[in-house]
Amino acid sequence: MFSQHVAKDLSAYCNGETAGEHSRRIAEHLIACNRCRRQFEEIKLGVKLAEQLPQLSAPDSLRLDLQVQLDAAGTLAKESRPVVFKRKKVSRRKFTFRNWRLAPVAAVLLLITGIGALYFYPRPSLPFWEVVRLNGSPRIASSPIEEKGRLALGQWLETDGSSRAQIDVGSIGQVEIDPNTRVRLVTARPTEHRLELARGKMSARIWAPPRLFFVDTPSAVAADLGCAYTLEVDDNGAGLLHVTMGWVALQLKDKESMVPAGASCATRPGIGPGTPYFEDASYPFRLALSKFDFEPDDKSWSIIPTLDVLLGQARPRDSLTLWHLLPRVQGTDRERVYDRLAVLVAAPDEVTREGVLQLNEQMLQRWRDKMETTWTGESQLHKTVGLWIRAVGEVRGLAR
Amino acid sequence: MEQRALMAEPIIDERVIAACQQGDRDAFGLLFDSYKDKVFSIAVYSFGGDQAAASDVSQQIFLKLMTNIVQFRGDSAFTTWLYRMVVNTCIDEQRKRSRFLPSGESIPMSKVADRRGPEKHYAKREVTDCVQAAIQELKPKLRLPILLKYVEGLSYEEIANVLSCSKGTVASRLNRGHQALARKLDHLRGEVVLGD
Repeated sequence: MFSQHVAKDLSAYCNGETAGEHSRRIAEHLIACNRCRRQFEEIKLGVKLAEQLPQLSAPDSLRLDLQVQLDAAGTLAKESRPVVFKRKKVSRRKFTFRNWRLAPVAAVLLLITGIGALYFYPRPSLPFWEVVRLNGSPRIASSPIEEKGRLALGQWLETDGSSRAQIDVGSIGQVEIDPNTRVRLVTARPTEHRLELARGKMSARIWAPPRLFFVDTPSAVAADLGCAYTLEVDDNGAGLLHVTMGWVALQLKDKESMVPAGASCATRPGIGPGTPYFEDASYPFRLALSKFDFEPDDKSWSIIPTLDVLLGQARPRDSLTLWHLLPRVQGTDRERVYDRLAVLVAAPDEVTREGVLQLNEQMLQRWRDKMETTWTGESQLHKTVGLWIRAVGEVRGLAR
Repeated sequence: MEQRALMAEPIIDERVIAACQQGDRDAFGLLFDSYKDKVFSIAVYSFGGDQAAASDVSQQIFLKLMTNIVQFRGDSAFTTWLYRMVVNTCIDEQRKRSRFLPSGESIPMSKVADRRGPEKHYAKREVTDCVQAAIQELKPKLRLPILLKYVEGLSYEEIANVLSCSKGTVASRLNRGHQALARKLDHLRGEVVLGD
């Protein structure tokens, strides 16, 4: 697999110019090959930038200038006569009626022709994703689907209390839609696949390179980093993400939470993503984190300050949470978080206390790399290989 | 320089082209209305946002179109034939101008973008300006496939026909063009990648 790098095909892949099976092979290779994935990220950025180029409008003076040039030239190749083109001349000449009694008949004919043209005119087909009914009567654009349906760009898929559905996300993954859920297809391009989850619950399994699949919720955007996860949104727009494989980034503007397998993260409208935590953390730890993230003014739940509970209850594995807390607290609180983190997972040699307190990005990243072994209990190599094996298995299963 | 408004475009079929070949002035008007924005866009991006130069070149292209359309035999799609003429005229004109203009004089679009530079938070307009400036700095063989793909919306096969090369060459040039854009404008990654 590594001998057949796909770099030369990456622009065609991003532009949707590769055939289905070839696209799948490229996606499969990108999961496993760091070198090609780096190039893919670069080309994907180039595509996104090029997509910003608008078609421009010619100035009105162009017509006049051309007219002057033609008058000066004075001849036309075939007829050797001056060319003077006028904007409305065709319509005036062609639609002059000599016998006005025919006008009503002509009007009726025009109306019929117009309606016919509207009906038969070949409309450009919108991108769509295949939907399979799993239970009950899922509805697309308010119409129930049979065994299969198509979710077109901008359309809503809704399930009631007894129905479920599965969406094929292009060739990069699948999403299961639970009962009482409402989702909309927002973008379906090779460089970006995006759903909106207005309410309900969905489970995603994605075997594509990072940051190709996004889910918009009322309180954050979930960006897939090569993973499986469930995401639910209640009627108030509050969300809860639970990751079962790989990583997911939850984002709102400049606030981001990176959530690994085994961890969860809540979101709230107007606040965005909270701090990620492992589900096997102690109950006081999880309760304190919820208060810290979303109800910081509520002091009634405990006589011990919230941050004290978090620092006191944290295990080495909870360094995930404390690492995310560093930029979210100030002054002496940040110093306390640093000191507790340093006890749980010693900082690498090149990472200094001052650098971390000043939120030096490189140092924070190096320290996080070291902490990751306590978050997953696996080395990076094992993690990558495991992810790849599962992803390829999924792809082959799909292909069959 | 306004961006194109969405509008229904008249359909140019073989009857319109045949009428143009017969010297029908109204048919030429239809042809002009259909393609003026497309031709002008490529000219503007090829001449670094210099609208006067773009207008001159667009006029040349339409004059050539009117005098040479009798030679169009329908061996290729009309748009392929037209874009080939557009691309060749732009390249010829750039060559002519490069003999008389000192290097750098023909890239006012970059200068416009630079004047707006101090702002750190790019709005969409600023992103567009930066992309236009970066496009201008690409070599023609990398710039033209990008313009034909993203401004004109041609497929790889259509681009290959216009540029008289293989689809593989188009893919290769777009790869290099995309990478060059990404390297020049990596600082805009946050503005365009997520788009949320």
